[in-house]
Amino acid sequence: MKKKNILLAAALLTSVCSYSSGQAAGRDTISIVGSSTVYPFSTVAAEQFGRGTSFKTPKIESTGTGGGFKLFCSGVGVDSPDISNASRAIKKSEFDTCQTNGVKDIVEVKIGYDGIVLANAKKSAPMQVSRKDIFLALAKNVPDPKGGEKLVANPYKTWKEVNPALPATKIEVLGPPPTSGTRDAFVELAMEAGAKTFSFIHDMEKKDKDKYKATTQMVREDGAYVEAGENDNLIVQKLEANPTAFGIFGFSFLDQNADKIQGSIVENESPNFDNIAAGKYPVSRPLFFYVKKAHVGEIPGIKEFVDEFTSEKAWGNDGYLADKGMIPMSKDERTTLLKDIKELKPMAAPAK
Amino acid sequence: MESFLEVTDTVYLSLHQKDTILPDTKGKTLHKERETVGKPFVENPRMTCREVNVYYGEKRAINDVSIDIAHNEVIAMIGPSGCGKSTFLRCLNRMNDTVEGCRVTGDIRLDGMDIHDKSVDVVPLRARIGMVFQKPNPFPKSIFDNIAYGPKIHGLAQNKSELNEIVETSLHKAGLWNEVKDRLQQPGTGLSGGQQQRLCIARAIAVSPEVILMDEPCSALDPIATAKIEELIAELCEQYSIVIVTHSMQQAARVSQRTAYFHLGDLIEVGRTDRVFTNPSHQLTEDYITGRFG
Amino acid sequence: MDNPANKQTIDRVNKGLSRRYRAERRFRIFGASAILLALSFLVLLFSSIFSTGYKAFQQTFIQIDIFFDPAEFTRENLSTANFPGLIKSSLSVMFPEVTSRGDRKDLYYLISPGASFQLMDVLKENTALIGTTRKIWVPANDDVDMLYKGNIDRTRPESERRINDNQLTWLDKLSAEGRVKKRFNSSFFTSGDSREPELAGIWGATRGSFYTLLITLSLSFPMGVAAAVYLEEFAPKNRWTDIIEVNINNLAAVPSIVYGLLGLAVFINFFGIPRSTPLVGGLVLTMMTLPIIIIASRASLKSVPPSIREAALGIGASKMQMVAHHVLPLALPGMLTGTIIGMAHALGETAPLLMIGMVAFIVDVPHGITDAATVLPVQIFLWSDSPERAFMERTSAAIMVLLAFLFLMNAAAVFLRKRFEIKW
Repeated sequence: MKKKNILLAAALLTSVCSYSSGQAAGRDTISIVGSSTVYPFSTVAAEQFGRGTSFKTPKIESTGTGGGFKLFCSGVGVDSPDISNASRAIKKSEFDTCQTNGVKDIVEVKIGYDGIVLANAKKSAPMQVSRKDIFLALAKNVPDPKGGEKLVANPYKTWKEVNPALPATKIEVLGPPPTSGTRDAFVELAMEAGAKTFSFIHDMEKKDKDKYKATTQMVREDGAYVEAGENDNLIVQKLEANPTAFGIFGFSFLDQNADKIQGSIVENESPNFDNIAAGKYPVSRPLFFYVKKAHVGEIPGIKEFVDEFTSEKAWGNDGYLADKGMIPMSKDERTTLLKDIKELKPMAAPAK
Repeated sequence: MESFLEVTDTVYLSLHQKDTILPDTKGKTLHKERETVGKPFVENPRMTCREVNVYYGEKRAINDVSIDIAHNEVIAMIGPSGCGKSTFLRCLNRMNDTVEGCRVTGDIRLDGMDIHDKSVDVVPLRARIGMVFQKPNPFPKSIFDNIAYGPKIHGLAQNKSELNEIVETSLHKAGLWNEVKDRLQQPGTGLSGGQQQRLCIARAIAVSPEVILMDEPCSALDPIATAKIEELIAELCEQYSIVIVTHSMQQAARVSQRTAYFHLGDLIEVGRTDRVFTNPSHQLTEDYITGRFG
Repeated sequence: MDNPANKQTIDRVNKGLSRRYRAERRFRIFGASAILLALSFLVLLFSSIFSTGYKAFQQTFIQIDIFFDPAEFTRENLSTANFPGLIKSSLSVMFPEVTSRGDRKDLYYLISPGASFQLMDVLKENTALIGTTRKIWVPANDDVDMLYKGNIDRTRPESERRINDNQLTWLDKLSAEGRVKKRFNSSFFTSGDSREPELAGIWGATRGSFYTLLITLSLSFPMGVAAAVYLEEFAPKNRWTDIIEVNINNLAAVPSIVYGLLGLAVFINFFGIPRSTPLVGGLVLTMMTLPIIIIASRASLKSVPPSIREAALGIGASKMQMVAHHVLPLALPGMLTGTIIGMAHALGETAPLLMIGMVAFIVDVPHGITDAATVLPVQIFLWSDSPERAFMERTSAAIMVLLAFLFLMNAAAVFLRKRFEIKW
């Protein structure tokens, strides 16, 4: 029995060696990494692509936007991924890393929008907030309630203290950890925008960039904001158990759980499909994927996959991605973008 | 060491000759270190041990022991616990090699062959010097396989029938055949303690050794089983030299022709069993056999 | 007894006696309640998993009349023919009253997108069906499935359910005609992952787990046993072996994510083994289980009584013969138990696989150790994070399958121990 095992192990080891030498021959599955927000959409497109064509179904890893770019920009060749999903545009620093590692031509594909919602359980009343309220409720340091340009540690315990129009319930918000793209987007779109309504903070952006960043992006750590992990289903469950709590997550989860939770109305716009698609709902962000042009032609099917993703039945108003909760772009925007995408036109270096 | 060899050459002593008590030990002097009284050496020995020392790390467990083992004799080794008799026994087939930190010096020969010589392989050596342990330790296999194991690994049997024959002869010699012949395929561990010990003896016999070492073979057995083993030892000494370590002085008196008394790593006295038990030459030996300590 | 000193002693003993018994009773109560508590949590866990999970083994199917139009379908064009259109046209025939574009979309939504692939398979298997009309059961969409399983409340306002009033009417009509029923969900056990819950299955992940564990077992068992035998029976006892021993014990306690990082650096970046494959996963899990197996094997070698070693050596067996013929057979049950527990450990592991790309959406069922694959616990993790509600019961069902495998493996460990344990 032991002998047999040893033989088997030897056979395996040889196969490992021979495989790694034969690995240069290539790979026939598209490899996609990146944002967990884009993952539910990317996977649907990949599955449709796999079933509808003779190509293999692409393999998709949910690594987070930053983690995805790290892998994506590690170089050119079969070992590195072909496509990176992102819930924000590529940063200048990431683009530069790509360039130094030989990933020269990158095709940017904007696919649609995602709304970030502040939701609570259906049992409770829906809330109407402004981004300023969100900032005051969740920032670590806020302008002194007594007035003046002094920043003090966030003193607010209930929503009513933030804004007399809001209910007198304890501030308790469950949200994703700092590694999450959803959190980044929420901080930028809701809190930072809310902070800017204070003119002295707005001016700070030019004078003291670091302080501005700290003021607008630091989330309070005294228990009012609870880091509930990346699992949005878990947050939905917790909201049901705790009617006074709010949760932060992507629109697709609200869409799927409309019978259990409701989105707060932000600046008079409720988070629904039409409002986000029309750009009215303020807390929404574009979603992207990035294609390594050097791999097109080397790995079979990349071009066809991009075509599938950007076809009307996928990203269109009634496409299957919309069924899964992605907010499509306007018809005009799609048409404009499609021209460059068809040509696989490399993007220019981003500004920041 | 040379002086000892000279002694063996010059002093002619036969087993059957009555022991001559050395003149200076007449008055039963107290033990002097590394001096053996009585007659440790025999004519035409099977095994010779000269100035054997055993160290466990820094500690010396056996001090300069020199003794011979004759053909077809039963020699008993007695002494209080921790006196080194078992340690010494284990030197004879180099079982001490397996003990971590144990070092053996001195000259031990089997039929004139130095067992520590580089050319000597310990595997055939242990086939020539069999061993029976304190606790019966049959392999957890069938009775047949227990006996057949030694012949198999040493390639003593050409075919199945030869192997069967070896097993049968060994069991006969060990006086176990009639008790187990119908259940050779049953596990050896299912036998009673005394039978197990005889099975172990049969296992040792199966590889036709010249010397059999027995390390307190009856200490875990009841008196009836002990009696059977003792009978067996008496029969076996017609073919083999047997070295037996025992705690029981009665047993030593019953089974052995010669007795060696160990004390704190020293070989105190060696002599014919009847003489040692009736007229010990050394004060320590007398103290031990009369029960003043031990 | 007559001695007063004796009497005094007995009195003292008696006085302390009740205190001693009390202490014993207290300890027993604590122990029993600890076990009771643990058991009730276990029951709670299992019942919550089973109560949601068992539903995933059933799937709602809808029967539709399908006419395989010979004008559209020929033997040659089966792979490219418009099967989605076939379903749509069949539904239009069954519901002629649905005309508006929006309503039609809602109608088509009732049927799973996977149904067209099912029709393709049906037709490929039996081309004689071309030109005939058949009643065929096709899987319903996950929301329809949820409705029939009671997870969507039809009394809620329309805007709050994923099935609108029109769809409810059509479904009620279909139900009345006996065209809706729940059947055993065989695709859950035969297909790979999918973003459509009604098409998603665990077969891909199960095979991935199988290949990964195969690599792990075939590398870690012989290596672990050989290392244990060498360290226990042959290696000299000195400072070096002490250091090795301490390190092995430490390695067993290292968080598994560290092995993932190591695997990423060594196997993927240095040796160039492809990401996301059972091969690299198996190698990483081998590193993780090796210390466990070595420690278990050494413990099991230590428990072999030295008398057996002496018996073998005393008869003239060489050290290798002693180990191979006597010590190993006695130690093997313990080693196997350790190995299986190590394997069960590896089966439930996700953290190290994250680093090497096995936490991924992979639809194709792997057919070898170098195909991209995922494993059961990763599949559970991925499903638990999916927004569609139907994935919730699939998550529980996958946990049930994983638990079943773990249970089987542990039962195998017990069986092997009982079967091969040699007593004397």
